Amino acid sequence: MSRKYNISDMTIVVTGATSGIGFAAARQLALKGAFVIGVGRNEEKCSEAIQKISEESPGARIRYIMADLSSLRQVRDLSARIRSVAAETGNDRIDVLVNNAGAFSNWYISTEEGFELQFTVNHLAPFLLTHELLPLLKNSEAGKVITVSSGSHYRTRIRWNDILMRKRYNCLLAYKQTKLANVLFTTELNRRLGPSSNIRAFAFDPGLVNTDIGLKGTAGIAKWIWQLRKNKGRSPDIPASEIVWLIENVDTPQSNEVYWKGCEPKAPSRYSRREDAAVRLWEISEKMCGVKWFSG
Amino acid sequence: MQSFVCITGATGGLGKAFAVECANRGWNLFITDISEPALVRLADGLQTAYGIKVLYFPCDLTDADSRARLIEEMSGRKICLDGLINVAGLDFEGDFFDRTKEQIRTLIRLNVEANLEITHELLKLRNSEKTFRIINVASLAAFYPMPVKAMYSASKRFLLNFSIALREELRPMNCTVTVLCPAGMPTNEKCIRSIDAQGFAGRITTKNVGYVAACTIDASLKGKTVCIPGLTNKIVRFAGSLVPSSLVSQLIGARWKEAHRKSFQGNKPVLRTDN
Ligand SMILES: NC(=O)c1ccc[n+]([C@@H]2O[C@H](COP(=O)([O-])OP(=O)(O)OC[C@H]3O[C@@H](n4cnc5c(N)ncnc54)[C@H](OP(=O)(O)O)[C@@H]3O)[C@@H](O)[C@H]2O)c1
Repeated sequence: MSRKYNISDMTIVVTGATSGIGFAAARQLALKGAFVIGVGRNEEKCSEAIQKISEESPGARIRYIMADLSSLRQVRDLSARIRSVAAETGNDRIDVLVNNAGAFSNWYISTEEGFELQFTVNHLAPFLLTHELLPLLKNSEAGKVITVSSGSHYRTRIRWNDILMRKRYNCLLAYKQTKLANVLFTTELNRRLGPSSNIRAFAFDPGLVNTDIGLKGTAGIAKWIWQLRKNKGRSPDIPASEIVWLIENVDTPQSNEVYWKGCEPKAPSRYSRREDAAVRLWEISEKMCGVKWFSG
Repeated sequence: MQSFVCITGATGGLGKAFAVECANRGWNLFITDISEPALVRLADGLQTAYGIKVLYFPCDLTDADSRARLIEEMSGRKICLDGLINVAGLDFEGDFFDRTKEQIRTLIRLNVEANLEITHELLKLRNSEKTFRIINVASLAAFYPMPVKAMYSASKRFLLNFSIALREELRPMNCTVTVLCPAGMPTNEKCIRSIDAQGFAGRITTKNVGYVAACTIDASLKGKTVCIPGLTNKIVRFAGSLVPSSLVSQLIGARWKEAHRKSFQGNKPVLRTDN
């Protein structure tokens, strides 16, 4: 199949671009000539990432911005800074937003605004960031919002009575719920944008990947299990190249496929296709983020 | 008239969990803690997400002048209270003899002096038309003398006894006092390190903060005296009551010293707030 879109003309934002899948994707996109704006939460890791990529390709156009995505305030600041960095190309435009940053936490951790950590980093942050960057995406010929979901979104549901799982926190169920939220967000975004929009949203399933995600917010047994499990995973370069493929090949706006795994569309869970659930989650998220989409 | 629930130590882990729990029940909040920016962020978050009214005022509770300003602010604004949740508290882990004079004073001021004074002053602002609810945060550590946490566990014992007695005094005034005795809760990276260092024992007694906050508010609304979230913790508490306290103290001492060594490995003791 011949490529439909040329990455070297694109401005691409990748969150969580300091390790794992996000770093691998930022690197590959930069090597293909895109202007990459990476987002990380740790200054040292950001400079390290820039250094690694620039060593490999001195001409790479790559910038990193720091933000802790567990803070919605910082997500708002971040979007303003992305806007000014993107403007360096002379265009007020972003072509692709890759919502990749994700976190796992064994324990219930409250964020500074009083939400739960995983729910905020994995769902609210991409929700709000996409909202803030939508005007820039609209200026692209074919804008894409790619949110990294997971096979964990199958066989689970949204806990409407206690969506932050304050009372019965279970780290795995909380994680699964956020990955389901990624799919619901993606379908609802497409529905609200409408069929004629130049922007399309996709949920991407990377499969089991050998990264440190399960070592960061854990301890004891859970940490040990992930240590064993991750070795069965694929190298992060593989899902990263699938993200690149998605950007280059999948038609916007024609494509109606929402969920992608290994360069192929796949049916997401039945729950994730429920419109009532998508609308309800959307409204809750709007309220938590203090925004209103598509009003007027 | 609008009334509020006041939470001290509101921007810490447990404090935030209480704030969210109250907000979720539709109660307006008056929150305080040391850092103003942190208060602003939490207040914004709660107001947008839950549509309640949140007032805040920064205060260093270990400082008498700062406390006076807080009380003045609240009485000046004629704040009317339905409840008070005293969450602020801290611990300096490590041997008593290694503590500085400053640390000793700070711990007593915050865990004991501030708690009593705030309770005393804010009782005057209670809404007389309703039952006034006071929640004090002690700790599972209140039930035993704990080496390596000698000051801390004793200060929490003070709060436990004080709360139970106060409850009887305030009964005719239509006030309830509930004292929460949680085990360690992982609320930030330092606590997580410390709980993890306790190994299995630390993990089975650990409950998440959201659950603890919800249980405590339920207990308070039912007028319960002591709230110990989690079955394991109740058993630990019960077992503790069967064995002489000097023996318990030795056992716990051994466990804590080990945990302390693993968690800090020769580092200076780290300040751990309860909240
Ligand atoms: N690994 C798998 O098997 C797997 C399977 C399915 C889906 N996924 C999804 O793939 C995505 C990437 O995960 P990964 O496996 O590549 O994990 P990873 O290596 O841990 O990468 C996660 C990235 O997110 C960043 N991040 C975490 N918390 C953040 C915060 N509060 N603010 C800003 N950035 C934050 C991390 O920053 P630091 O570098 O500073 O830690 C890192 O760059 C996640 O959405 C995950 O849910 C992974």
